[in-house]
Amino acid sequence: MASRYDRAITVFSPDGHLFQVEYAQEAVKKGSTAVGIRGTNIVVLGVEKKSVAKLQDERTVRKICALDDHVCMAFAVLTIFVGLTADARVVINRACVECQSHKLTVEDPVTVEYITRFIATLKQKYTQSNGRRPFGISALIVGFDDDGISRLYQTDPSGTYHAWKANAIGRSAKTVREFLEKNYTEDAIASDSEAIKLAIKALLEVVQSGGKNIELAIIRRNQPLKRRDFTTLPRLASNS
Amino acid sequence: MAATFFGEVVKAPCRAGTEDEEEEEEGRRETPEDREVRQQLARKREVRLLRRQTKTSLEVSLLEKYPCSKFIIAIGNNAVAFLSSFVMNSGVWEEVGCAKLWNEWCRTTDTTHLSSTEAFCVFYHLKSNPLVFLCQCSCYVAEDQQYQWLEKVFGSCPRKNMQITILTCRHVTDYKTSESTGSLPSPFLRALKTQNFKDSACCPLLEQPNIVHDLPAAVLSYCQVWKIPAILYLCYTDVMKLDLITVEAFKPILSTRSLKGLVKNIPQSTEILKKLMTTNEIQSNIYT
Repeated sequence: MASRYDRAITVFSPDGHLFQVEYAQEAVKKGSTAVGIRGTNIVVLGVEKKSVAKLQDERTVRKICALDDHVCMAFAVLTIFVGLTADARVVINRACVECQSHKLTVEDPVTVEYITRFIATLKQKYTQSNGRRPFGISALIVGFDDDGISRLYQTDPSGTYHAWKANAIGRSAKTVREFLEKNYTEDAIASDSEAIKLAIKALLEVVQSGGKNIELAIIRRNQPLKRRDFTTLPRLASNS
Repeated sequence: MAATFFGEVVKAPCRAGTEDEEEEEEGRRETPEDREVRQQLARKREVRLLRRQTKTSLEVSLLEKYPCSKFIIAIGNNAVAFLSSFVMNSGVWEEVGCAKLWNEWCRTTDTTHLSSTEAFCVFYHLKSNPLVFLCQCSCYVAEDQQYQWLEKVFGSCPRKNMQITILTCRHVTDYKTSESTGSLPSPFLRALKTQNFKDSACCPLLEQPNIVHDLPAAVLSYCQVWKIPAILYLCYTDVMKLDLITVEAFKPILSTRSLKGLVKNIPQSTEILKKLMTTNEIQSNIYT
């Protein structure tokens, strides 16, 4: 049945599936695992770094990107896209432009929800256009708004977006989500170090080579973004 | 030829019968060169069983040369990794032969110097109990080679007093179900057994309308025809390359009669499996 209705994005199957969108969600599962956790005073994004070729410059393989960096207030809206790299680059560029355009127009930085809605709307447009295919990416978007409350949103190729307390995307995301469901408690996220440990432990459930390939990005309220890689992780993880 | 709305080009049916008949007649005439090319290709695609140490071919089929009571076959890299870390690690296994074959997906040429990552098909037996056999098949056996592979391994008249266990993986999107693939608990196991296999499986049986493909299907069909007790454990996963969680999904099989007595040290096996994972290949730049 699927083969007759999965060639074009603009065709529904008789039982209501948009197969190209569902196949785009399979493309997301080919990317490495990413986890996002929203604590009371902290947001954490963790990702499995992929192994790069010997001659490839590792600095050009960026996974966690700041969509907007407010220099005077030291806030940031962080995102991680999982799925097709090229699609991620295109969407990040559009989102960065939108952040600046919003600031110029209304003289206020974007809220996390605003930029998430922008990205989700962009993705949805590509599920309804002839001659185009959906973006093969899911995103985790984190940050603090003006009111000081931490936010975590997730978008997927269909253009839906939802707020989460903790979520995972990419390969073996289900296993990580199940771990988070068991271990995410209000106590666990009340302290910053506990939230960071939870992100590391969640990733260690599925990361193939132990802690060596984990990269973290941390934003605490009113503090600038901090990035951590495997050299500093053992100290963070051992504080338990 | 006609173009559809989506831009595919399909062959339009032709009601003028005479045109087609002429084309078919031309195709039927085979030149000696064509015959020569076909024979060369058949020779190239031949499946050969040989002993790597002595560089000699096996004159008879493997199981005619060596009697066997238990045969475990792993097909695919995750199944091979499972047997390597849990079964081969728990005993001393001696290589008795390997299958050399060539096809568009498996272009092995040199059989003597093989690294552990080469796609190949190697047979072992347990030194302490030579009736127990193991096959690690990480190459693709094409449809036209499967029957040859079966003949070279089992022979034309196999013994019935042996038990075969096959382990393999398949992508979860091949699993036909009314649920959406997102809600399936992948990786998960399903089993399919021949009529003569009387023991119970350690997981649910494969539901209709799902079918088995490729070499595992060929082995099961062969066993069903020759009334050999055989069971296939099929792991549906969303990560087809070497993956820790997929390999660990095979663990329930360790408690079945097929593998009982062959596995000794499970915690050590898990460590060996993790080491196998660290030598993984560079990830593609297409996916972030």
